[in-house]
Amino acid sequence: MPLIIKDEYPEKLFRKDGKRLDGRDLTDLRDIKLDVGVIKNADGSAYLEWGNNKIFAAVYGPREVHPHHLAKPDRGILRVFYRMATFSVFDRKRPAPGRREKEISMIVADCLEPILFLELYPGTSFEVFIEVIDADGGTRCASTTVAALALADAGIPMKSLVSAVAVGKIDGKRVVDLSGIEDKAGEADLPCAITWYNEEISLLQFDGDMDLEEMNDFLDMAKEALVKIHKLQLEALRSKYVSLTETNNKDEGEN
Amino acid sequence: MMDVKRIISKVEKSYIKSNLKKEERIDGRNLWEYREFKIKSDTIASAEGSADVFLGDTRIITGLKYEIGEPFPDLPDEGVCTIMAELLPVASPLFERGPPDEQSIELARVVDRGIRHADCVQTQKLCIKENEAVYILFVDMYVINYDGNLIDAGGVSALTTLLSAHLPEGKIGDDGLEWTGKYLTGDDLVNELPLVLTYGKIDDIVFLDPSLPEELMCDGKISISVTEDKITSIQKSGAATFSIDEIKDLCKRSLEIGQKLRKELDLPQYKSSLK
Repeated sequence: MPLIIKDEYPEKLFRKDGKRLDGRDLTDLRDIKLDVGVIKNADGSAYLEWGNNKIFAAVYGPREVHPHHLAKPDRGILRVFYRMATFSVFDRKRPAPGRREKEISMIVADCLEPILFLELYPGTSFEVFIEVIDADGGTRCASTTVAALALADAGIPMKSLVSAVAVGKIDGKRVVDLSGIEDKAGEADLPCAITWYNEEISLLQFDGDMDLEEMNDFLDMAKEALVKIHKLQLEALRSKYVSLTETNNKDEGEN
Repeated sequence: MMDVKRIISKVEKSYIKSNLKKEERIDGRNLWEYREFKIKSDTIASAEGSADVFLGDTRIITGLKYEIGEPFPDLPDEGVCTIMAELLPVASPLFERGPPDEQSIELARVVDRGIRHADCVQTQKLCIKENEAVYILFVDMYVINYDGNLIDAGGVSALTTLLSAHLPEGKIGDDGLEWTGKYLTGDDLVNELPLVLTYGKIDDIVFLDPSLPEELMCDGKISISVTEDKITSIQKSGAATFSIDEIKDLCKRSLEIGQKLRKELDLPQYKSSLK
Protein backbone atom coordinates (compact mmCIF):
# COMPACT_ATOMS: atom_id res chain seq x y z
CA MET A 1 0.00 0.00 0.00
CA PRO A 2 1.53 3.28 -1.01
CA LEU A 3 2.05 6.04 1.46
CA ILE A 4 0.71 9.39 0.39
CA ILE A 5 3.01 12.13 1.57
CA LYS A 6 1.26 15.44 1.89
CA ASP A 7 3.40 18.50 1.45
CA GLU A 8 1.74 20.53 4.17
CA TYR A 9 2.86 21.20 7.73
CA PRO A 10 0.72 19.80 10.54
CA GLU A 11 -0.11 22.17 13.40
CA LYS A 12 1.22 19.85 16.08
CA LEU A 13 4.11 17.41 15.81
CA PHE A 14 2.97 15.33 18.80
CA ARG A 15 -0.15 13.22 19.17
CA LYS A 16 -2.47 13.51 22.15
CA ASP A 17 -0.82 10.53 23.85
CA GLY A 18 2.54 12.35 23.81
CA LYS A 19 4.04 10.24 21.04
CA ARG A 20 5.36 11.63 17.77
CA LEU A 21 3.19 11.59 14.62
CA ASP A 22 4.66 8.25 13.48
CA GLY A 23 4.13 6.73 16.95
CA ARG A 24 7.70 7.03 18.23
CA ASP A 25 8.87 8.19 21.65
CA LEU A 26 11.33 11.09 21.91
CA THR A 27 14.49 9.00 21.63
CA ASP A 28 13.23 6.22 19.31
CA LEU A 29 14.88 5.69 15.95
CA ARG A 30 12.82 4.82 12.89
CA ASP A 31 13.17 1.22 11.65
CA ILE A 32 16.54 0.71 9.99
CA LYS A 33 17.27 -2.11 7.57
CA LEU A 34 20.79 -2.55 6.22
CA ASP A 35 22.07 -4.90 3.55
CA VAL A 36 25.52 -5.24 1.95
CA GLY A 37 26.67 -6.58 -1.43
CA VAL A 38 23.47 -5.61 -3.23
CA ILE A 39 25.08 -4.32 -6.45
CA LYS A 40 27.07 -7.08 -8.11
CA ASN A 41 29.15 -4.87 -10.42
CA ALA A 42 30.49 -2.66 -7.64
CA ASP A 43 33.62 -3.35 -5.59
CA GLY A 44 31.50 -2.77 -2.52
CA SER A 45 27.87 -1.81 -2.03
CA ALA A 46 25.17 -1.39 0.55
CA TYR A 47 21.45 -0.65 0.69
CA LEU A 48 19.59 1.03 3.49
CA GLU A 49 15.96 1.54 4.40
CA TRP A 50 15.62 4.03 7.24
CA GLY A 51 11.97 4.82 7.77
CA ASN A 52 10.88 5.80 4.29
CA ASN A 53 14.41 6.63 3.12
CA LYS A 54 15.74 4.18 0.58
CA ILE A 55 19.39 4.61 -0.38
CA PHE A 56 21.97 2.68 -2.42
CA ALA A 57 25.70 3.21 -2.02
CA ALA A 58 28.35 1.73 -4.32
CA VAL A 59 32.14 1.95 -4.02
CA TYR A 60 34.57 1.69 -6.92
CA GLY A 61 38.28 1.75 -6.24
CA PRO A 62 41.13 2.03 -5.82
CA ARG A 63 41.10 3.00 -9.51
CA GLU A 64 42.65 5.48 -11.90
CA VAL A 65 41.70 9.11 -11.33
CA HIS A 66 39.60 10.91 -13.95
CA PRO A 67 40.32 13.75 -14.64
CA HIS A 68 43.99 12.95 -14.17
CA HIS A 69 45.06 16.28 -12.66
CA LEU A 70 43.08 15.51 -9.48
CA ALA A 71 45.45 12.64 -8.62
CA LYS A 72 47.77 13.21 -5.69
CA PRO A 73 51.27 11.69 -5.88
CA ASP A 74 51.50 10.95 -2.16
CA ARG A 75 47.99 9.68 -1.38
CA GLY A 76 44.72 8.42 -2.78
CA ILE A 77 41.67 10.63 -2.98
CA LEU A 78 38.12 9.94 -1.84
CA ARG A 79 35.30 11.30 -3.95
CA VAL A 80 31.66 11.07 -2.94
CA PHE A 81 28.75 11.74 -5.27
CA TYR A 82 25.41 12.08 -3.51
CA ARG A 83 22.42 12.17 -5.86
CA MET A 84 18.68 12.09 -5.42
CA ALA A 85 16.32 10.40 -7.86
CA THR A 86 13.80 12.72 -9.52
CA PHE A 87 10.94 10.79 -7.89
CA SER A 88 12.42 10.61 -4.39
CA VAL A 89 10.78 13.83 -3.19
CA PHE A 90 7.31 15.41 -3.21
CA ASP A 91 7.91 17.81 -6.12
CA ARG A 92 9.86 16.20 -8.93
CA LYS A 93 13.54 17.06 -8.58
CA ARG A 94 15.33 18.31 -11.66
CA PRO A 95 17.58 15.57 -13.04
CA ALA A 96 20.81 17.61 -13.00
CA PRO A 97 22.71 17.74 -9.68
CA GLY A 98 21.93 20.87 -7.68
CA ARG A 99 23.84 22.92 -5.13
CA ARG A 100 22.40 20.98 -2.20
CA GLU A 101 23.58 17.66 -3.64
CA LYS A 102 27.07 19.00 -4.23
CA GLU A 103 27.33 20.32 -0.69
CA ILE A 104 26.16 17.04 0.84
CA SER A 105 28.60 15.11 -1.37
CA MET A 106 31.40 17.24 0.02
CA ILE A 107 30.49 16.98 3.70
CA VAL A 108 29.99 13.21 3.43
CA ALA A 109 33.42 12.88 1.77
CA ASP A 110 35.01 14.99 4.52
CA CYS A 111 33.25 12.83 7.10
CA LEU A 112 34.45 9.50 5.65
CA GLU A 113 38.01 10.48 4.80
CA PRO A 114 39.43 10.20 8.36
CA ILE A 115 38.57 6.50 8.59
CA LEU A 116 40.53 5.49 5.45
CA PHE A 117 44.27 4.93 5.01
CA LEU A 118 44.45 6.99 1.83
CA GLU A 119 48.24 7.37 2.14
CA LEU A 120 48.51 3.68 1.21
CA TYR A 121 47.04 4.31 -2.27
CA PRO A 122 49.00 7.14 -3.95
CA GLY A 123 47.74 8.28 -7.33
CA THR A 124 44.38 6.50 -7.13
CA SER A 125 40.82 7.37 -6.27
CA PHE A 126 38.01 5.77 -4.32
CA GLU A 127 34.63 6.77 -5.63
CA VAL A 128 31.50 6.42 -3.53
CA PHE A 129 28.21 6.85 -5.38
CA ILE A 130 25.15 7.43 -3.23
CA GLU A 131 21.70 7.22 -4.83
CA VAL A 132 18.72 8.33 -2.81
CA ILE A 133 15.74 6.53 -4.33
CA ASP A 134 13.18 7.61 -1.73
CA ALA A 135 13.67 10.47 0.73
CA ASP A 136 11.95 11.26 4.02
CA GLY A 137 14.24 13.40 6.16
CA GLY A 138 17.76 12.72 7.37
CA THR A 139 19.17 11.57 4.04
CA ARG A 140 22.65 12.99 4.69
CA CYS A 141 22.96 10.95 7.89
CA ALA A 142 21.49 7.86 6.29
CA SER A 143 23.84 8.32 3.30
CA THR A 144 26.89 8.57 5.54
CA THR A 145 25.86 5.44 7.42
CA VAL A 146 25.29 3.40 4.27
CA ALA A 147 28.42 4.74 2.51
CA ALA A 148 30.61 3.62 5.43
CA LEU A 149 29.07 0.18 5.11
CA ALA A 150 29.74 0.05 1.36
CA LEU A 151 33.40 0.97 1.97
CA ALA A 152 33.67 -1.86 4.48
CA ASP A 153 31.98 -4.24 2.03
CA ALA A 154 34.60 -3.28 -0.58
CA GLY A 155 37.28 -4.61 1.76
CA ILE A 156 39.09 -1.30 1.92
CA PRO A 157 41.31 -0.97 5.03
CA MET A 158 39.48 1.21 7.54
CA LYS A 159 40.16 2.43 11.06
CA SER A 160 36.51 1.96 11.98
CA LEU A 161 32.99 2.53 10.74
CA VAL A 162 31.18 5.86 10.80
CA SER A 163 27.59 6.21 12.01
CA ALA A 164 25.39 9.26 11.65
CA VAL A 165 22.08 10.50 13.00
CA ALA A 166 20.19 13.77 13.35
CA VAL A 167 18.86 15.12 16.62
CA GLY A 168 16.66 18.18 16.90
CA LYS A 169 13.91 20.14 18.54
CA ILE A 170 10.24 19.89 17.56
CA ASP A 171 7.41 21.70 19.36
CA GLY A 172 9.95 22.60 22.06
CA LYS A 173 10.94 19.00 22.80
CA ARG A 174 14.29 17.33 22.10
CA VAL A 175 14.01 14.31 19.81
CA VAL A 176 16.23 11.84 17.98
CA ASP A 177 16.09 11.02 14.24
CA LEU A 178 13.80 13.62 12.67
CA SER A 179 11.44 12.47 9.93
CA GLY A 180 10.77 14.57 6.82
CA ILE A 181 7.84 16.47 8.34
CA GLU A 182 9.63 16.99 11.68
CA ASP A 183 12.67 18.30 9.85
CA LYS A 184 10.61 20.83 7.86
CA ALA A 185 8.23 21.94 10.62
CA GLY A 186 10.54 21.61 13.64
CA GLU A 187 12.70 24.31 15.21
CA ALA A 188 16.18 22.82 15.19
CA ASP A 189 18.05 20.09 13.32
CA LEU A 190 21.54 18.87 14.16
CA PRO A 191 22.93 16.09 11.95
CA CYS A 192 26.13 14.57 13.30
CA ALA A 193 28.39 11.58 12.66
CA ILE A 194 30.95 9.80 14.77
CA THR A 195 34.15 7.97 13.79
CA TRP A 196 34.33 5.02 16.15
CA TYR A 197 38.13 4.56 16.22
CA ASN A 198 38.50 7.73 18.28
CA GLU A 199 34.84 8.36 19.11
CA GLU A 200 35.03 11.88 17.73
CA ILE A 201 32.56 13.89 15.69
CA SER A 202 33.28 13.87 11.97
CA LEU A 203 30.17 15.52 10.54
CA LEU A 204 28.32 18.33 12.23
CA GLN A 205 25.83 20.84 10.93
CA PHE A 206 23.22 22.80 12.75
CA ASP A 207 20.27 24.99 11.86
CA GLY A 208 17.97 26.52 14.44
CA ASP A 209 18.43 28.05 17.84
CA MET A 210 19.31 26.56 21.19
CA ASP A 211 21.05 27.46 24.43
CA LEU A 212 24.20 25.92 25.85
CA GLU A 213 22.45 23.40 28.08
CA GLU A 214 20.35 22.16 25.14
CA MET A 215 23.42 21.76 22.95
CA ASN A 216 25.16 19.62 25.59
CA ASP A 217 22.07 17.47 25.94
CA PHE A 218 21.72 17.10 22.17
CA LEU A 219 25.23 15.75 21.77
CA ASP A 220 24.68 13.18 24.55
CA MET A 221 21.38 12.07 22.97
CA ALA A 222 23.09 11.71 19.61
CA LYS A 223 25.85 9.56 21.08
CA GLU A 224 23.30 7.19 22.58
CA ALA A 225 21.46 6.79 19.26
CA LEU A 226 24.72 6.38 17.35
CA VAL A 227 25.70 3.39 19.49
CA LYS A 228 22.46 1.65 18.36
CA ILE A 229 23.14 2.44 14.70
CA HIS A 230 26.73 1.19 14.95
CA LYS A 231 25.43 -2.16 16.24
CA LEU A 232 23.08 -2.47 13.24
CA GLN A 233 25.95 -1.71 10.84
CA LEU A 234 28.17 -4.38 12.39
CA GLU A 235 25.31 -6.89 12.28
CA ALA A 236 24.72 -6.18 8.58
CA LEU A 237 28.40 -6.77 7.77
CA ARG A 238 28.49 -9.95 9.83
CA SER A 239 25.27 -11.35 8.36
CA LYS A 240 26.79 -11.37 4.86
CA TYR A 241 29.46 -13.80 6.05
CA VAL A 242 27.01 -15.82 8.10
CA SER A 243 24.89 -16.42 5.01
CA LEU A 244 28.02 -17.23 2.96
CA THR A 245 29.11 -19.83 5.50
CA GLU A 246 25.64 -21.33 5.56
CA THR A 247 25.56 -21.77 1.78
CA ASN A 248 29.10 -23.21 1.81
CA ASN A 249 28.17 -25.74 4.48
CA LYS A 250 25.08 -26.67 2.51
CA ASP A 251 27.09 -27.15 -0.69
CA GLU A 252 29.59 -29.35 1.14
CA GLY A 253 26.75 -31.36 2.64
CA GLU A 254 25.29 -32.00 -0.82
CA ASN A 255 28.62 -33.09 -2.22
CA MET B 1 32.06 -8.17 -7.17
CA MET B 2 31.90 -9.19 -10.80
CA ASP B 3 34.71 -8.70 -13.22
CA VAL B 4 33.42 -6.15 -15.72
CA LYS B 5 35.69 -5.22 -18.59
CA ARG B 6 35.25 -2.98 -21.57
CA ILE B 7 36.95 -5.54 -23.77
CA ILE B 8 36.08 -9.22 -23.90
CA SER B 9 39.10 -11.52 -24.24
CA LYS B 10 39.57 -13.57 -27.43
CA VAL B 11 39.21 -16.78 -25.44
CA GLU B 12 35.87 -15.71 -23.99
CA LYS B 13 34.70 -14.47 -27.39
CA SER B 14 35.43 -17.76 -29.08
CA TYR B 15 33.78 -19.61 -26.19
CA ILE B 16 30.61 -17.53 -26.57
CA LYS B 17 30.66 -18.00 -30.35
CA SER B 18 31.23 -21.75 -30.29
CA ASN B 19 28.34 -22.11 -27.85
CA LEU B 20 26.06 -19.99 -30.03
CA LYS B 21 26.89 -22.16 -33.02
CA LYS B 22 25.55 -25.11 -31.04
CA GLU B 23 22.46 -22.97 -30.30
CA GLU B 24 23.53 -22.70 -26.65
CA ARG B 25 24.42 -19.79 -24.39
CA ILE B 26 27.18 -19.55 -21.81
CA ASP B 27 24.57 -19.11 -19.07
CA GLY B 28 22.68 -22.25 -20.10
CA ARG B 29 19.84 -20.63 -22.05
CA ASN B 30 18.79 -21.45 -25.58
CA LEU B 31 18.79 -18.79 -28.31
CA TRP B 32 15.20 -17.60 -27.72
CA GLU B 33 15.03 -17.65 -23.95
CA TYR B 34 14.87 -14.75 -21.48
CA ARG B 35 16.68 -14.59 -18.18
CA GLU B 36 14.31 -14.49 -15.23
CA PHE B 37 12.24 -11.33 -14.71
CA LYS B 38 11.58 -10.35 -11.09
CA ILE B 39 9.16 -7.49 -10.55
CA LYS B 40 8.10 -5.48 -7.52
CA SER B 41 5.80 -2.50 -7.83
CA ASP B 42 4.93 0.57 -5.80
CA THR B 43 8.06 0.36 -3.65
CA ILE B 44 8.67 4.12 -3.44
CA ALA B 45 6.46 6.16 -1.12
CA SER B 46 7.35 9.55 -2.63
CA ALA B 47 6.49 8.52 -6.20
CA GLU B 48 3.01 8.28 -7.73
CA GLY B 49 3.90 4.85 -9.08
CA SER B 50 7.10 2.81 -9.18
CA ALA B 51 8.67 -0.48 -10.17
CA ASP B 52 11.80 -2.42 -9.25
CA VAL B 53 12.60 -4.82 -12.10
CA PHE B 54 15.33 -7.44 -12.34
CA LEU B 55 16.20 -9.14 -15.62
CA GLY B 56 18.83 -11.63 -14.49
CA ASP B 57 21.30 -9.33 -12.71
CA THR B 58 20.24 -6.22 -14.63
CA ARG B 59 18.20 -4.06 -12.29
CA ILE B 60 16.19 -0.92 -13.08
CA ILE B 61 14.17 1.15 -10.60
CA THR B 62 11.59 3.44 -12.17
CA GLY B 63 9.41 6.08 -10.58
CA LEU B 64 6.52 8.23 -11.75
CA LYS B 65 6.06 11.91 -10.90
CA TYR B 66 3.60 14.39 -12.36
CA GLU B 67 3.18 18.10 -12.84
CA ILE B 68 0.12 20.03 -13.92
CA GLY B 69 0.87 22.07 -17.02
CA GLU B 70 -0.52 23.39 -20.26
CA PRO B 71 -1.12 20.98 -23.15
CA PHE B 72 0.65 21.27 -26.49
CA PRO B 73 -1.35 23.63 -28.75
CA ASP B 74 -1.87 20.92 -31.41
CA LEU B 75 -3.17 18.41 -28.82
CA PRO B 76 -5.29 20.60 -26.53
CA ASP B 77 -7.11 17.74 -24.79
CA GLU B 78 -4.22 15.35 -24.22
CA GLY B 79 -1.77 14.97 -21.36
CA VAL B 80 1.92 14.29 -21.87
CA CYS B 81 4.01 11.27 -20.88
CA THR B 82 7.79 11.61 -21.01
CA ILE B 83 10.33 8.89 -20.35
CA MET B 84 13.87 9.51 -19.13
CA ALA B 85 16.68 7.09 -18.32
CA GLU B 86 19.81 7.49 -16.29
CA LEU B 87 22.71 5.04 -16.31
CA LEU B 88 23.90 5.53 -12.75
CA PRO B 89 27.61 5.18 -12.04
CA VAL B 90 26.65 2.81 -9.20
CA ALA B 91 25.50 0.31 -11.82
CA SER B 92 28.76 -0.45 -13.59
CA PRO B 93 32.37 0.70 -13.91
CA LEU B 94 31.49 1.26 -17.58
CA PHE B 95 29.11 4.12 -16.69
CA GLU B 96 30.44 7.57 -15.96
CA ARG B 97 28.97 10.56 -14.22
CA GLY B 98 27.66 13.49 -16.16
CA PRO B 99 24.88 14.47 -18.52
CA PRO B 100 23.00 11.68 -20.35
CA ASP B 101 25.11 9.97 -22.99
CA GLU B 102 24.03 8.24 -26.22
CA GLN B 103 23.32 4.93 -24.51
CA SER B 104 20.94 6.37 -21.92
CA ILE B 105 19.17 8.53 -24.49
CA GLU B 106 18.70 5.51 -26.76
CA LEU B 107 17.31 3.49 -23.84
CA ALA B 108 14.79 6.21 -22.97
CA ARG B 109 13.77 6.83 -26.58
CA VAL B 110 13.33 3.20 -27.59
CA VAL B 111 11.23 2.48 -24.48
CA ASP B 112 9.30 5.71 -25.08
CA ARG B 113 8.52 4.90 -28.71
CA GLY B 114 7.43 1.38 -27.86
CA ILE B 115 4.90 2.79 -25.41
CA ARG B 116 3.90 5.91 -27.36
CA HIS B 117 2.89 4.15 -30.58
CA ALA B 118 1.02 1.30 -28.93
CA ASP B 119 -2.13 3.03 -27.68
CA CYS B 120 -0.76 2.29 -24.21
CA VAL B 121 -1.12 5.52 -22.20
CA GLN B 122 -4.59 7.03 -22.58
CA THR B 123 -3.41 10.64 -22.83
CA GLN B 124 -6.97 11.97 -23.10
CA LYS B 125 -7.61 10.72 -19.56
CA LEU B 126 -4.73 12.96 -18.48
CA CYS B 127 -6.62 16.09 -19.49
CA ILE B 128 -8.10 18.15 -16.65
CA LYS B 129 -9.41 21.03 -18.76
CA GLU B 130 -9.02 21.44 -22.48
CA ASN B 131 -6.43 24.03 -23.53
CA GLU B 132 -5.66 24.80 -19.88
CA ALA B 133 -4.54 22.02 -17.61
CA VAL B 134 -3.23 18.53 -18.23
CA TYR B 135 -1.07 16.06 -16.34
CA ILE B 136 2.53 15.89 -17.47
CA LEU B 137 3.91 12.50 -16.47
CA PHE B 138 7.60 11.86 -15.89
CA VAL B 139 8.61 8.21 -15.98
CA ASP B 140 12.23 8.19 -14.85
CA MET B 141 14.28 5.00 -15.11
CA TYR B 142 17.38 4.53 -12.97
CA VAL B 143 19.75 1.66 -13.79
CA ILE B 144 20.98 0.17 -10.50
CA ASN B 145 22.99 -2.77 -11.90
CA TYR B 146 24.01 -3.33 -15.53
CA ASP B 147 24.27 -6.88 -16.80
CA GLY B 148 23.13 -6.42 -20.40
CA ASN B 149 19.84 -5.72 -22.20
CA LEU B 150 18.70 -2.55 -20.45
CA ILE B 151 16.03 -1.92 -23.08
CA ASP B 152 13.82 -4.94 -22.35
CA ALA B 153 14.17 -4.49 -18.58
CA GLY B 154 13.43 -0.77 -19.03
CA GLY B 155 10.32 -1.50 -21.10
CA VAL B 156 8.85 -3.77 -18.43
CA SER B 157 9.92 -1.35 -15.70
CA ALA B 158 8.27 1.68 -17.36
CA LEU B 159 5.08 -0.25 -18.12
CA THR B 160 4.80 -1.64 -14.57
CA THR B 161 5.34 1.87 -13.21
CA LEU B 162 2.49 3.23 -15.34
CA LEU B 163 0.24 0.37 -14.25
CA SER B 164 1.00 1.06 -10.58
CA ALA B 165 0.16 4.76 -11.02
CA HIS B 166 -2.01 6.56 -8.47
CA LEU B 167 -2.37 10.19 -9.48
CA PRO B 168 -4.55 12.44 -7.34
CA GLU B 169 -7.57 13.35 -9.49
CA GLY B 170 -7.92 17.07 -10.12
CA LYS B 171 -10.63 19.25 -11.60
CA ILE B 172 -10.85 22.92 -12.41
CA GLY B 173 -13.32 24.61 -10.07
CA ASP B 174 -14.14 28.27 -9.48
CA ASP B 175 -10.90 28.83 -7.54
CA GLY B 176 -8.65 27.01 -9.96
CA LEU B 177 -7.36 23.49 -9.48
CA GLU B 178 -9.04 21.34 -6.80
CA TRP B 179 -8.33 17.76 -5.75
CA THR B 180 -11.34 15.47 -5.66
CA GLY B 181 -9.78 13.00 -3.19
CA LYS B 182 -9.98 10.21 -5.75
CA TYR B 183 -7.16 8.74 -7.82
CA LEU B 184 -6.44 8.09 -11.47
CA THR B 185 -4.86 4.64 -11.57
CA GLY B 186 -3.27 2.27 -14.05
CA ASP B 187 -6.77 0.97 -14.76
CA ASP B 188 -7.75 4.35 -16.22
CA LEU B 189 -4.45 5.18 -17.87
CA VAL B 190 -3.13 2.04 -19.51
CA ASN B 191 -4.74 0.17 -22.40
CA GLU B 192 -2.33 -1.91 -24.46
CA LEU B 193 0.66 -3.64 -22.84
CA PRO B 194 3.58 -3.22 -25.27
CA LEU B 195 6.74 -5.23 -24.65
CA VAL B 196 10.08 -4.58 -26.24
CA LEU B 197 12.26 -7.52 -27.24
CA THR B 198 15.94 -7.10 -28.00
CA TYR B 199 18.03 -9.48 -30.09
CA GLY B 200 21.79 -9.51 -30.42
CA LYS B 201 23.69 -10.58 -33.53
CA ILE B 202 27.12 -12.21 -33.57
CA ASP B 203 28.35 -13.26 -37.04
CA ASP B 204 25.15 -14.66 -38.57
CA ILE B 205 23.62 -15.89 -35.32
CA VAL B 206 20.74 -13.97 -33.79
CA PHE B 207 19.63 -14.51 -30.19
CA LEU B 208 17.21 -13.01 -27.64
CA ASP B 209 18.11 -11.00 -24.50
CA PRO B 210 21.89 -10.49 -24.75
CA SER B 211 23.71 -10.76 -21.42
CA LEU B 212 26.58 -8.35 -20.69
CA PRO B 213 29.46 -10.29 -22.32
CA GLU B 214 27.25 -11.06 -25.33
CA GLU B 215 26.19 -7.41 -25.56
CA LEU B 216 29.77 -6.13 -25.34
CA MET B 217 31.00 -8.40 -28.14
CA CYS B 218 27.94 -8.43 -30.41
CA ASP B 219 28.06 -6.78 -33.84
CA GLY B 220 24.68 -5.15 -33.38
CA LYS B 221 21.26 -5.39 -31.86
CA ILE B 222 17.67 -4.99 -32.93
CA SER B 223 14.82 -4.06 -30.58
CA ILE B 224 11.24 -4.78 -31.62
CA SER B 225 8.24 -3.52 -29.64
CA VAL B 226 5.05 -5.52 -29.93
CA THR B 227 1.51 -5.41 -28.59
CA GLU B 228 -0.77 -8.46 -28.62
CA ASP B 229 -1.01 -8.47 -32.44
CA LYS B 230 0.93 -5.48 -33.79
CA ILE B 231 4.50 -4.33 -34.17
CA THR B 232 4.79 -0.78 -32.85
CA SER B 233 8.42 0.19 -33.08
CA ILE B 234 11.80 -1.11 -34.21
CA GLN B 235 15.30 0.10 -33.48
CA LYS B 236 18.38 -1.36 -35.09
CA SER B 237 21.56 -0.35 -33.33
CA GLY B 238 25.23 -1.19 -33.63
CA ALA B 239 27.26 -1.86 -36.75
CA ALA B 240 25.58 -5.11 -37.80
CA THR B 241 23.40 -5.64 -40.85
CA PHE B 242 20.29 -7.82 -40.83
CA SER B 243 18.94 -9.61 -43.90
CA ILE B 244 15.33 -8.98 -44.90
CA ASP B 245 14.47 -12.60 -44.14
CA GLU B 246 16.02 -12.29 -40.69
CA ILE B 247 13.92 -9.23 -39.93
CA LYS B 248 10.74 -10.93 -41.14
CA ASP B 249 11.55 -13.93 -38.97
CA LEU B 250 12.32 -11.75 -35.91
CA CYS B 251 9.06 -9.82 -36.26
CA LYS B 252 7.12 -13.10 -36.32
CA ARG B 253 9.08 -14.45 -33.36
CA SER B 254 8.61 -11.21 -31.40
CA LEU B 255 4.83 -11.50 -31.60
CA GLU B 256 4.98 -15.13 -30.44
CA ILE B 257 7.52 -14.59 -27.64
CA GLY B 258 5.74 -11.36 -26.65
CA GLN B 259 2.43 -13.15 -26.20
CA LYS B 260 4.05 -15.83 -24.08
CA LEU B 261 5.97 -13.31 -21.96
CA ARG B 262 2.89 -11.12 -21.48
CA LYS B 263 1.07 -14.11 -20.05
CA GLU B 264 3.99 -15.09 -17.80
CA LEU B 265 4.57 -11.61 -16.38
CA ASP B 266 0.84 -10.95 -15.87
CA LEU B 267 1.51 -7.23 -15.50
CA PRO B 268 -2.10 -6.16 -14.66
CA GLN B 269 -1.55 -7.68 -11.19
CA TYR B 270 0.65 -4.65 -10.39
CA LYS B 271 -2.19 -2.15 -10.77
CA SER B 272 -2.67 0.18 -7.82
CA SER B 273 -5.61 -0.60 -5.55
CA LEU B 274 -6.30 3.08 -4.79
CA LYS B 275 -9.46 4.55 -6.25
